[in-house]
Order: sequence, then structure tokens, then C-alpha cells
Amino acid sequence: MNDAVHDRLFDSARAFDSPVTVGLTLAVAAALVGGLLIVELLGRGGRIGAAQFDELRKRMISWCVLAPAMILPVLLGAAWTILAVGLLGLLCYREFALATGFFRHRLLSFIVALGIVLLTFAALDHWYHFFLALPSLTIVTLAAFAILPDQPRGYLQRVALGTFGYLFFGVCLLHLAYMANDPGYRPIILMLLIAVELNDVFAYIAGKSFGRRKLCPATSPGKTVGGSVGAFACTTLLVALLGAIVFHGTPVAHPLRLIGLGLLVSVAGQLGDLMLSSIKRDLGIKDMGVVIPGHGGLLDRFDSLILVAPAAFHYLAYLDGLRLSPLTRILSGV
Amino acid sequence: MDEWRYEPARDLGLTPRDSFRSVRRERGLLSLAASLAWMLITRAWLRLYHRLEVRGREHLPAAPPFLVVANHSSHLDAPALAAALPLHLALRAFPVAAGDTFFESRATAAFASLMMNALPIWRRNCGPHALGELRQRLLGEPCVFILFPEGTRSRTGAMGAFKPGIGRLVCGAPTPVPVVPCHLDGAFAALPPHARYPRPRKLTLRIGPPIVMDDLPDRREGWERITHAAEAAVRALAPQTSNVVPRPSSSSS
Repeated sequence: MNDAVHDRLFDSARAFDSPVTVGLTLAVAAALVGGLLIVELLGRGGRIGAAQFDELRKRMISWCVLAPAMILPVLLGAAWTILAVGLLGLLCYREFALATGFFRHRLLSFIVALGIVLLTFAALDHWYHFFLALPSLTIVTLAAFAILPDQPRGYLQRVALGTFGYLFFGVCLLHLAYMANDPGYRPIILMLLIAVELNDVFAYIAGKSFGRRKLCPATSPGKTVGGSVGAFACTTLLVALLGAIVFHGTPVAHPLRLIGLGLLVSVAGQLGDLMLSSIKRDLGIKDMGVVIPGHGGLLDRFDSLILVAPAAFHYLAYLDGLRLSPLTRILSGV
Repeated sequence: MDEWRYEPARDLGLTPRDSFRSVRRERGLLSLAASLAWMLITRAWLRLYHRLEVRGREHLPAAPPFLVVANHSSHLDAPALAAALPLHLALRAFPVAAGDTFFESRATAAFASLMMNALPIWRRNCGPHALGELRQRLLGEPCVFILFPEGTRSRTGAMGAFKPGIGRLVCGAPTPVPVVPCHLDGAFAALPPHARYPRPRKLTLRIGPPIVMDDLPDRREGWERITHAAEAAVRALAPQTSNVVPRPSSSSS
């Protein structure tokens, strides 16, 4: 492992090399402090009911834990980023497996979890061929081991649930981790994380302000067309502006391409949200878990990221926006 | 064509603390790995430090559901009984443990549920409802319960009378549930209730032939019949030289 690789993986002294990283980190810190203050003031001033105040405060306090947990690994180094995303993938898969009942197929569930661990390794190792090979290898392994109990009834459901869980919470999500193989990954990943979370906020605010027509009431009764359009506009603008600095000097730094990236983030973010709503409706449950007070399960919070990660990764890779390090297979190579 | 059937975890939506304390708790890979590790460690410990000897393994039923009942004088009892089961059954075995001892504090509840795979029974609230939930679990999964029907650890080493709660678990089941009587000798000398650390005393576990009764009515008469039969079988397994005091003639159960 040479110095450049070591720096990328572990050197937190370079955390604030990019002005975008500095700005976003400060903005998040300010938003957390401001949010806490506003909630406290609203509560003290009696502007909102006690129940709503408790709920809002629980949400804000959860954010004060979540936001640093998301940002710190990115600042610390690529290795921490990749491990954190790998852990997130495993935890999201766990919630999915518990909610669908797939966890009862212990061996198959173990294969999916192992597959996610191997994806994390492939990202850490910067071994793209292995990263690409894992989806098919894992799915074939699942299909093969699902034969073993000799119970053809439910075979398709077993294999399909395992495949779905692996592709979404492993392969899709881990694309976010793979981006950390770009030495300038910090502003890119931070921008995506914050844009995806704000996308939800924009949709909520826009929906409250001028949302009338329901978007798809059977899937998610709270969402409106107005909220969705508002989120498209705000998120696209935010990503385009930030992207102009982040991708300065790369082929992505063209206005139309930046707008394309912004639209992609907003569309994929909202689709991810609706995808999880559909899953929950299909299963007949309200929240995926109780891990985060005020939010529900981890998946309820990170659903939007699942589709954004691969979409943004391949869009940027296609346009040469990612400067992936030329040193590959840093652990497994000779 | 059948529709897909989803069966979410039965403890979905419970906070970790409530899930530890719930008899509906289901285990995922993490808990399975934790209890497998714990089981291998305790097995090695019991074999090396306590020279655990198991007699009558051939009496164990091949498949769940069944109950394992034994005398209770030490915290070593449940691990020793679990160690006597083959691994695939041991991973489906739930020691039924006192809620007020093991499930009050968060740390012990996490340990009891993740490592020991214990299910709680609250001594002040072990009526028909609580026992009904346990029975549903026993038959529905199906699984193995490790039970100490005396209800508490003996403070003298002598075996006390069995409480009829096991009757509520097995009586009226669609197919008879075998009750496997066991007697563990030496645990009181190794780790009595008042001791902090275990002493290297030899443990001998004797497993008797399972009691299978298929005509048990699900009322007091049936509960007492199976309880008395189980108690007598456990007593009969005790070695003659052991300090087990014979049961007083006027029993109060």
C-alpha cells in the first residue's frame, strides 16, 4: 500500500481540502443547532401542542445522532466511509429480512449477508471486477442452496426475496461506498447524502405549501404532485450549484449535465422512497423497525439513498466525473 | 397459483428491550451466532472444568417439541442441560428462566436472550395467559423447552416439589409432548446459589426415558398427573448416595 492509497483510506487531515466539504459540514451543524433551537422555542412559546413538540424534539435529537454518524466516517477517510456504508447495507438488509420473514431461511440469509460483506471488501480493495462479479455469483449461490431443503413449494419466493434484498441493500447501496475510491470522494458523497435527505424535506415543505393532487394515494397517501415537483426544482438547483464546484474541471461541469445529475438524484430519491412505501404496504406494516426514535427503522430513513447511489455512480462514471484511483486491488493484489 | 405469503418477525416493532422480554422473540443471524459461540464456550467449560458426564443420551427424542425437566440448584443447570442436547436441537432449545432474575435489567436481559436464548416467565405472573403463550411457542415452532419445575434454585441442595405449570404446557396438545426427566448431580457443590464463583466439582447428568402421556385432560387433574410423574422420574434418577432428601409424604404443590 503506497502513500497515496494510505492517505485516501485513513488520512483525516485532508478532510477539509475541498471548500464544499467545509461548507456542507458547517451547514449541517448550523441546521442541527438551528433546528433544535426552533423546536425548543416553538415548544416554550406554546405554538405547538405538547404531543407534536415531543415528536418534533425526538426527531431532532435523532438527527443530532444520525447526521454526525453519516458525516464523520466520510471526513475520517475512505476506509471508514466504505465500512460504514457496508454496515448500513447489512443493517438495512436485516430490517428487510425481519419484515418479510426471509430471515427464517437461515442459510440463504447468511449467503446474502456474506455477499454484502464481500461487496464491502471489493469496494475497500478497489477491485471493480469482483464488485461486478458478486451479484451474479451470489444469486447463483442463493438459487443453488435454496434447492437443498428439497421443498419446491415457495422456492421462487425464497430465491426472489434473497435476490431482491441482496441487489437493493447490497449491490445498489454499496455503489455509494465504491465512490470512495475517488481520492476526491468527500464532497461528492457528502453532496449526495445531503441532497437526498433535503430532497425529502423539500418534498415535505412543497407538499404542505402547494400540494393538492395526490401522487399515488394507494402507495403513500401523504405524497402530492406539488411536493414532488417542488422537490425536483429545489434538489436540482442545489445539486447543480454544488456540483459546479465539486466537478470543476471535469466533463460533468457542464450546465446541462449538472442539471441532469440533479434531476437524477431527485427522481431516484423519490422513487426509492415510494419503493419502500410499496414494500411496506405489500407487507402490511407501518415502519420497518424502531431503531431511530421518531423516524422508524433505518430503512425508513435511508430508503431514498438506495436508488440514488447506483444511478449517480454510473451517471458520473459514464461522464468521467469520477477520478477513481488507478491503483486497484490494494489488498488482494500482488 | 398461490399468492406469496410474508410472515414478518413476530417481535417486529418491539424495541430491543421489549423484544428481549417477549416470548414471541425470534432470532436472526446475529443472535444465532452469539448463542452458538456461547454454547461452544460453555460446553468446553463444563467438559474441562466440571468434567460433565452425560448418561442416557439415547433417551432424548429425535425431534421437537419436547420438554426437558430437571432439579434446580445452580446457575450451571441450564447450560449443562443445553450441553447434553445435540447442537441442532440445542440451538432450538429455550431455557425458561425467571423474569425477575434475568429480565429486569437491560444488560442481563440482553445476555439471557442473545446468548442463553432464554424465555422469561414472571414468577408473580405465571397464570394461564403467560403459560398459554409459552405453549403456543413450544408447539407452533416447534421447539425444546428446558424447565426447572421447582420454580427456584434449591437453597439446601435438596430437591423441592414440582409446581404444576408444566401441565399447562403439555396437557391437551394435539399430539402428546414428551417430557424428558433429567437429574443433574454435583451442581450444588460446584455453584450453589450463595456462591460467586464455580468450584471445579464433577457434574453428572442422568437422562431418563421420556414420559409420554396421551390421555391428559387439560385441567388440574391432568396437570398434576404429569407433574407428579415427572417429579417421581427425576427423583428416581438421583443417585442413592446423593444428598437429595426424599420427598415428604404430604406434598403441597
